[in-house]
Amino acid sequence: MDGMDIVKTLASRGFIVEPDALEAIKNSDPGTLDRLLSSIDPSALTISKEDVARLKAPCVKVLSDITNNSTCIGDYDEFVGYFRDRYGRLGDMMRHRISARPIESIKKKGFSRGEKAEVSVIGMVSDVRSTSNGNRLAEIEDMTGSISVLISKDKDIFETPLLLDEVVGVTGTVKDGGLLMASSIIYPDVPNTNVPRRSEEPSAAALISDVHIGSNTFLEDRWLKFIDWLNGDYEDDRSHGLVSRLKYVVVAGDLVDGIGVYPGQEKELSILDIYEQYSKAAEYFDQFPKGLNIIITPGNHDAVRQAEPQPALPEEVRRMFKHPNITFAGNPSAVEIEGVRLLLYHGRSLDDLVSSLPGASYSRPEKAMAELLKRRHLSPIYGGKVMIAPEARDHFVIDPLPDIMHSGHVHTVGVCRYRGVTLVNSGTWQAQTEFQKRMNIQPDPAKIPIVDLHTGDVSIISFGS
Amino acid sequence: MLSSMSSASESQEKYFKSLEREFLKCRDIANRARSLGYDPQLETEVPAANDLAERVEVLMGVPGLAEHIRKCEHLGREEASLQVAADIAEGLVGRFENKVDAIQCAIRTAAAIITEGVVAAPLEGISQVSLAKNDDGSEYIRIYFAGPIRSAGGTAEALSVLAADYVRRKMGLAPYKPRPEEIERYVEEIALYKSLQHLQYTPTDDEIRLIVKNLPVCVDGEPTEDEEVQGYRDLERVETNRVRGGIALVIAEGLILKAPKVKKHVDKLKFDGWEFLDRIIAGSKPSDESHDEKIKPKEKFLVDLIAGRPVFGHPSRAGGFRLRYGRARNTGFAAAGIHPASMVIMDDFIATGTQLKVERPGKAAAIVPVDSIDGPTVKLLNGDVVYVDSVEKALSVRKDVSEILDNGEILINYGDFLENNHVLLPSPYVVEWWEQDLALRTADAVEVRSARDAFAVSEKYGVPLHPRYTLMWRDISADDLRHLREYISREGRVKDGLRVPVEPRSKRSLELLLLPHRVRDGVVLVDDDGSFLLLRCLGLNPDLSLKDVDIAGLDPLEAVSKMSGVKVMDRALSRIGARMGRPEKSKMREMKPPVHVLFPVGEAGGAKRSLEDAAAFTKNMNDKAGLIEVEMGRRKCPECGAMTFKCRCDCGAHTEPYYWCPDCKLEGIGGRCPRCGRPATTNMPMRIDLKGIYTSTMDSLGVRGGFEILKGVQGLISSEKTPEPLEKGVLRALHGVYVFKDGTVRYDLSDVPLTHFRPRELGLSIEKLKELGYEKDVQGRPPESLDQVFELKVQDVILSHDCSSYLIKVAGFIDDMLEKLYGLPRFYNVTREEDLVGHLVIGLAPHTSAGVLGRIIGFTGASAGYAHPFFHAAKRRNCDGDEDCVMLLMDGLINFSRSYLPDRRGGKMDAPLVLSMRIDPKEVDKESHNIDVMARYPREFYLATLEYKSPKDVEKMMDLVSGRLGTPAQYEGFLFTHDTSDIAAGPTNSAYKTLGSMEEKLRAQLELGRRLRAVDERDVAERVINSHFLPDLIGNLRAFSTQQMRCVKCGARYRRPPLSGTCPKCGGRVILTVHEGAVTKYMEVSIAIARDYGVSNYTLQRLELLSLSIKSLFENDKSKQVILSDFM
Repeated sequence: MDGMDIVKTLASRGFIVEPDALEAIKNSDPGTLDRLLSSIDPSALTISKEDVARLKAPCVKVLSDITNNSTCIGDYDEFVGYFRDRYGRLGDMMRHRISARPIESIKKKGFSRGEKAEVSVIGMVSDVRSTSNGNRLAEIEDMTGSISVLISKDKDIFETPLLLDEVVGVTGTVKDGGLLMASSIIYPDVPNTNVPRRSEEPSAAALISDVHIGSNTFLEDRWLKFIDWLNGDYEDDRSHGLVSRLKYVVVAGDLVDGIGVYPGQEKELSILDIYEQYSKAAEYFDQFPKGLNIIITPGNHDAVRQAEPQPALPEEVRRMFKHPNITFAGNPSAVEIEGVRLLLYHGRSLDDLVSSLPGASYSRPEKAMAELLKRRHLSPIYGGKVMIAPEARDHFVIDPLPDIMHSGHVHTVGVCRYRGVTLVNSGTWQAQTEFQKRMNIQPDPAKIPIVDLHTGDVSIISFGS
Repeated sequence: MLSSMSSASESQEKYFKSLEREFLKCRDIANRARSLGYDPQLETEVPAANDLAERVEVLMGVPGLAEHIRKCEHLGREEASLQVAADIAEGLVGRFENKVDAIQCAIRTAAAIITEGVVAAPLEGISQVSLAKNDDGSEYIRIYFAGPIRSAGGTAEALSVLAADYVRRKMGLAPYKPRPEEIERYVEEIALYKSLQHLQYTPTDDEIRLIVKNLPVCVDGEPTEDEEVQGYRDLERVETNRVRGGIALVIAEGLILKAPKVKKHVDKLKFDGWEFLDRIIAGSKPSDESHDEKIKPKEKFLVDLIAGRPVFGHPSRAGGFRLRYGRARNTGFAAAGIHPASMVIMDDFIATGTQLKVERPGKAAAIVPVDSIDGPTVKLLNGDVVYVDSVEKALSVRKDVSEILDNGEILINYGDFLENNHVLLPSPYVVEWWEQDLALRTADAVEVRSARDAFAVSEKYGVPLHPRYTLMWRDISADDLRHLREYISREGRVKDGLRVPVEPRSKRSLELLLLPHRVRDGVVLVDDDGSFLLLRCLGLNPDLSLKDVDIAGLDPLEAVSKMSGVKVMDRALSRIGARMGRPEKSKMREMKPPVHVLFPVGEAGGAKRSLEDAAAFTKNMNDKAGLIEVEMGRRKCPECGAMTFKCRCDCGAHTEPYYWCPDCKLEGIGGRCPRCGRPATTNMPMRIDLKGIYTSTMDSLGVRGGFEILKGVQGLISSEKTPEPLEKGVLRALHGVYVFKDGTVRYDLSDVPLTHFRPRELGLSIEKLKELGYEKDVQGRPPESLDQVFELKVQDVILSHDCSSYLIKVAGFIDDMLEKLYGLPRFYNVTREEDLVGHLVIGLAPHTSAGVLGRIIGFTGASAGYAHPFFHAAKRRNCDGDEDCVMLLMDGLINFSRSYLPDRRGGKMDAPLVLSMRIDPKEVDKESHNIDVMARYPREFYLATLEYKSPKDVEKMMDLVSGRLGTPAQYEGFLFTHDTSDIAAGPTNSAYKTLGSMEEKLRAQLELGRRLRAVDERDVAERVINSHFLPDLIGNLRAFSTQQMRCVKCGARYRRPPLSGTCPKCGGRVILTVHEGAVTKYMEVSIAIARDYGVSNYTLQRLELLSLSIKSLFENDKSKQVILSDFM
């Protein structure tokens, strides 16, 4: 279609097209004009370059998730395979930094008394406890065997807590009896040299989660304000700037409140039917501007299996959504938009981290997220709050490295940067629940972190009551 | 209140003396056996106690305590406990190393006195007392409560806190001043505990704050749950982040629920600082239904419904059990009676001893057969309505029942209303009331044999219509009544009774009235008697023409009274909803896995812990067979100096525990290491020649096989790790009996009460009866017939036939042991059930530490243990579905040792640390004082029920145990209002136990629900899914995805699979501990019943989502695509 036809088509519908907008349409894919016509506000007069930019062809690429790739049937070998995959991939991240040896070879070699040779091993933590002297004694294992590691309370490394089932590199000397006295501990971590990828054009993504549609504490008024805002109902310049660049809305789980998630939930629901909850959600998303790209991943309240990794919402639910640009993916999932990599994880493991990591709290979720990134694993602790499906591949391993990591679940907003990676925990659209009151958790409702894909900066917009 | 001597008649004294004589005889033999040195101690370890004070002294181990307690007894039990506590703390009794130890003993003693010196809670539930500092530097008391405090009950929990405050004042210590975050920690923690474990009462957040802010002592606790609090963590003065069950129990079930009781004592002692109790009492106590308020149906008994345990009546619903007041000789004390025909009609789900959760007056009741009350009325498939008044009739019609129109009556005694402080429900009009109405009018003997008689008597004497001829008029509407009357008048014919063509509305009315009738060829046939009754009540002339009576605006009962010309009363005023709680029990006690001897075999015994396998075990090809390594306690022979694990040295001397310090390597020391001050131990890994030991044991006993397997334990868990003599294990295996953790052999039975018996019921001959000291029946006649009624003596017990066959084996084992191990004469020489009669047993309840001496006098076919309510009360049990055990006295005296008890929290529970020799009703659980023992309830009582009076208001007119305390009448002269012909009538076992799979039980439960008029089976299905299947499915799904792994070879458990795949310890194969089958077992049946019974959409969707989860977890996407619609 040449430029003239485009101008004519638009004119016949009452729109004037700006020159650089025309240029952008000509350079885009053939469907662009149709999508522009179906999504543009009919009362608008001119079509600007931004209008076109928002429409850019579906540019959400799912890099990895479990959807339709679950192979687990729940046998013992799968559990072993799952942890071996974790050990192998995380271990490989550290192999170039230390020359690790198999644990069994260290134990077999008889060390004579007083020998102080340093050795390194890479192992998965299987037990950590405090000794009567206040030191820490860990048990770590690899495929060949396991060894006890003593971390003296006088060493700096004592400050860094070890999490169960994480993979670490330990360097130290072996005492007779096969006890490794640790002198340093390394994590897979993010390289110091990490340079995050950025989008070429100005664009932004709104990161939300934990909408909890169907709950009687769902803040519908404020949610509708957000939808209005997306549709241009604002007066301030800041909003104008943000909305004009906003091309993506990402929902990291708990779109609806679900049913039967906890005992007695029926008393706290306004919609008792799971499908009606999603149908209500679909209704809301229909009101989102058509040009927006939406990504929805599930959380522990959604209608998918509780064991993680979770696949995308089922087809019955997906087809309720009429909005043209929604991508459904699993939890966790890695996606790429405009060359920028996002890692989406609902955040169930934050519960386990808060109870086992000193200093971690529900009010500062980003700190726990940074600890996870350092360990290059979204959910190291096995046997706690996170239920796992023993898939052949450990989907929690953070690889490749994302540029933006987005979680939710804990209902508090937190933003920080760790070695170039932007970490965002989005808040909620639900008021404080009875459960949170007892647990002393103060939620951050109706606050949206918006990340600028071009700069990596995050602004927070609040939708007051 | 505390008394060492009980008031008893001469014959009663004689009974006690005979028990004592027999006991002493047994104890002498036991001590002779013990003196040979084969056991940890040289004499029996079950000391006898004569009263509460002695029991407390034995439990606390403080010499002189009993005497001191007796000195305080005039204060009443609760205040005596506080006084004794203060005296201990001040050093008047006992010697302690320091102040804290004295305070600890003081608080524990107070709890022990309140719990009658029977439960282990004072020792196990109050784990520690310490002093800590307030922020202003002052010292306060901190009591650590542990899980077993639950068994003390709310009152003792609350009063031990009060005792601590009393002690605190005497010692001049400061009150506890909590920090704000500590208060909030309690709020969070108690809510979390509630989500994990059962709490009788859920306190509000503000109640918790109020209590913690004001309590003068700090209620602390040991962590009892694995879960940790999330919000208020790492507090300086709270040692753990885990949940402390003790604090939740003491605050919620103790201080809040028992606030009025605590308040009473606080007021009396004029304590300040406890004023907050007034606010608790005002605010929290759920106000009981007040007098004038109409009774509302209560749903609570339906909560947590379990698959396979049916509902017999929804709350207060017509068709359910009809309340009847009275006490049969086998009811009361939380046991209720129903007609044995009702048991059979309920598809055998109820048997003697089966626990029912009931709507009121209490929470639960054990059910026993009483055939002098109404049985059920059923509708058959052919439309007939039949009143079922015998087991035979029930069996013959059962398969044809299409609807159970009426469950029959449930007999509940006044005492149970008093005990539960439940307002009296209106009594239906019953024969015993009618007789009293009649007696007011005439002294003549009046007989009522037909409906005609009934009307004649009512007309002649002006009394209401006889209850037997009173139909359930209130169960139909005035409109139904009018319709029925007119329909019969119009369409009925009289010929050999009444004949009316079947028409749905009138037919249903006849069914709901419970008027027996038949249906033949589309015509309802009512017999002559029934016709007369019906026509009179409906105001119809013999030719079926309508009498001229105006019944406009009258309710059915008024209308019927007016039409019939006599007063017609209500026969179904109060209906009691009920469902099955737990099944009755009569089963030998086994540990899991079962064990013959407390002797360690380590890994060598394999999964079966087999001694033979261990004796043949070789680790390597070159090793000698049977050399195994196990950890045991070392003992030293004082004569020859040999070191051994045996209690009797090969030289014949009795060995002593030999302590050493594993850190300092010092040997032969006391309980504490003199160098490092840490506790010393006797334990040491030893290499023993098990094959040699085993062979010589067999040889010395002269036993060559004769048993299938001899099971030991993997390791010993007592503190000194003393093993039992292996001989005992061989003989137990030979006789097929299993040992419990304390060295005794036990048999468990549901508790049911009995105050009177017939010799025939127990299989007792007249001679035997006389031998047992039963000289007179209730009417004072000497024994001559097997059907005479005798009053049960308080320490006599009646066991089940299954129990007798086990006890015969146990007696055989004891005799062999006496003969072959100790070289003493055989004692029991029992071959038949009758031979056991007269022998003594120890009754012992779980969570308690004091046994009660009992005497076997007979056996019944029921799967439950009948005994005097006082006997159960002495064990601190009532009969609401509790169960406990009996063991032969000789077994307890010889084989029990504290040295075998597990060295862990709760280890001292369920062990006969002391034996109560004689029952003093004043010193047993006070609940038994509320039992009524009269032959008839007065007419005034029935009238009072119609006014919803409080049971306290009529207490004066009732003859209760409480009024007889301290006199010989506390033991004798009890009567009962309702007789029963056989205390073991009805099914032997509940269908719950005889049906096979869970699905079979569930289907039977729902099918019965479908037939019961009083039950909504859809609601049952929904509740079962919600309270049983869904939590099970969710729990197992979670368990699967967070599960531990286990090595099949060595049994080692791993939190997650080892990376090597195989067991790092032994190289064995590692497997899952939760399998797909465990997760999915209820999935299909849940969905099937959800659809069949039309449960709510919400529940159905929850099941569908779980089904999806399960498929997603256990099915490979690559081999099968799963979509939600597959399950819809």
